[in-house]
Amino acid sequence: MLLFRDEEHIDRWCGQWHLPRGATLTLETGWRLAQAWHGPDRRDPEWRRRTVEETEELFASLGLGGDFWRLR
Amino acid sequence: MSDLEIRARIYDALLRTGRAPSAAELGDRQALQRLAAGRVLVLDDAGEILMAPPFSAVPTPFLVHTPSIRAFGNCIWDALGIAAMAKSDAHIETSCGDCGALMRVDVEGDTVKGGGIMHFAIPARMWWQDIVFT
Repeated sequence: MLLFRDEEHIDRWCGQWHLPRGATLTLETGWRLAQAWHGPDRRDPEWRRRTVEETEELFASLGLGGDFWRLR
Repeated sequence: MSDLEIRARIYDALLRTGRAPSAAELGDRQALQRLAAGRVLVLDDAGEILMAPPFSAVPTPFLVHTPSIRAFGNCIWDALGIAAMAKSDAHIETSCGDCGALMRVDVEGDTVKGGGIMHFAIPARMWWQDIVFT
């Protein structure tokens, strides 16, 4: 996941690498996703990877829907 | 030492120093293999830690400064994730993926400041098919 100056730069990068355009997030939404995903302390013995269902709920809570964010 | 204890040692080192311990320092290569199989870590061909998300064990274009450590994220999401995991203010030095212009993102408390747009190229269900590219 890269940071770009603006939409035009994303389009140019996708063209250069022959990749379809993916999904874009504002920094604010990316920060919320990072807090939820990486905030839990992995030193804690109780920490475990999120289940598919929990991940789907997280994406939905941040308004990340559609085929790109589908997990199954 | 259990796998959970190895995991705790890895993340404790990363959060205190920004550096991932070596397999020799951890003293249990099989535990690293099991943690990698469980998608907790990504190892390189020599069995050393390459990624302990959100940290990268090798330099990347996503340098995170907190008041106590400098560390590398695997991507812009992970760079923000280091600030989230450290529960610390941070600033991130990176560059536009297209033109290379320097960009700075600041995390202050619960807020993030900076310009730019994050782009996820790989659909979520395919992230682990090639996690290094993702």
